[in-house]
Amino acid sequence: MKFISVILLAWMSIIQAGQDIYTCKNAKINLYSSAPIEDIEANSNAGVSVYNATTGELDFSLPIRSLHFPKALMESHFNEDYMESDKYPKATFKGKLQEHPDLTKDGSYPISVTGELSVHGVNQMRTITGNLKINNGVLTMTSEFMVKCADHHIEIPQIVFHNIAQSIRIRVDATYTLYK
Amino acid sequence: MKRTIILLALLALSAGLRAQEKDVTKKSTSADSLMNAMNTDEKTGPVVIFKSSRMILSQSTETVRKKNLNFLVIHRFGDFAGSNGGGKTYFGLDAVSDVYIGFEYGLSDNLNIDIGRTTIGGLADLELKYAILRQSRDGSSPFAITLLGEAGVAPYGSYVAFSDRTAFLGQVMIARKFSPWLSLQLTPTFVRDYTSPLLYPGNQQQFFALMGMARLKLSNHMGFIIDYGHPFSSSRTTANGFYDPLGFGIEIETGGHVFTINVTNSRAVSEINYLSNTQSNYSKGQFRVGFTISRMFDFNHKENSK
Repeated sequence: MKFISVILLAWMSIIQAGQDIYTCKNAKINLYSSAPIEDIEANSNAGVSVYNATTGELDFSLPIRSLHFPKALMESHFNEDYMESDKYPKATFKGKLQEHPDLTKDGSYPISVTGELSVHGVNQMRTITGNLKINNGVLTMTSEFMVKCADHHIEIPQIVFHNIAQSIRIRVDATYTLYK
Repeated sequence: MKRTIILLALLALSAGLRAQEKDVTKKSTSADSLMNAMNTDEKTGPVVIFKSSRMILSQSTETVRKKNLNFLVIHRFGDFAGSNGGGKTYFGLDAVSDVYIGFEYGLSDNLNIDIGRTTIGGLADLELKYAILRQSRDGSSPFAITLLGEAGVAPYGSYVAFSDRTAFLGQVMIARKFSPWLSLQLTPTFVRDYTSPLLYPGNQQQFFALMGMARLKLSNHMGFIIDYGHPFSSSRTTANGFYDPLGFGIEIETGGHVFTINVTNSRAVSEINYLSNTQSNYSKGQFRVGFTISRMFDFNHKENSK
């Protein structure tokens, strides 16, 4: 009888261990590029992310069309001409946290995530650095990194070359809560 | 007793193992399935069917967005060949058939007010354009419908009554993007043109017409356009010297600007003029080079950002 209860306890602890999944449903993404004629900026708060604290796996997904520009025409060109959003509706990141932060301790930790960034249907292995803030079981990850248009086969024709920068700055701000 | 305990223990163990197994698969796929569950399909919003509001002859179902101003210069040169063309006019480039200068302003995303003036007849026009239906990305609306109402006045020249200076046009534009490479538009049209000269007996001043237009995407920034119109008018026959307007063109979009370089037999830019009075024929060399320049200005600059 004791044997059974031991097994039951062990079994329950296994289930317990499988629960360290954190999710974020409204990650803020900011896109910015500086160019001689005009700066281009877009914002979305429709990024979704799942962080598995047990394995360190971090998944991220952003619907491209959720990025909104101040100028309607700019948004239309962004989706139709550059990102081809009907063909490639999402930008994703599938990676793994290099660090194993103790999520029970409040604080701020520098982190780096290595994995595949998929934009415009082209995958790139990237190591992206950022910051993790833990506050009472709520995780906030922030990051700032550059994406080169050429790396993801986003073509900028010569005729509009001066309007658009070759590198786009991306800012991410995601707040995660424990998934039950 | 011992045996039953062992049996029970084994059962519990296997149950535990199975649960664990399930748990493991859950762990590795749960992130994916969670991601899938959380991902909302961004299949909302309208399909952008055309890159500009003016094609060659036709207007398109696209409207200028709210607080945006589209400045238009549409130009038709002289006859390329024939008696009025050829080398002596530098293949029509020395001559001007028609120039249209106009503005389109977005009162809302779907309602535009346009003003413009064209050389032929000195026709000044005022238009209201309203997109009543957009082709939707999720397929709930398979096509777009835009209504166009146009009133024109020819202020100069001698006419008997003021009504002889007026012209009206009503259009129902129906368009669909069939694939990223092909967009089509059909436009049933009604024309009431009192300015058209009564050159011959039986000239119809009111008639129906049908326009058809296709845009083929060549690249993300370039398209090929065919634009055609046919007036259903008993007086506008080939025997009377009338021909259907037909244009071919290349559209180049450079972010804010749209250029169209085209070839048409029609001398006129205004719908009213080219539907009621195209008397030039490709086979007589009466076709011309033309262009459209569109520049978009956006007046809701900083307001919407953040």
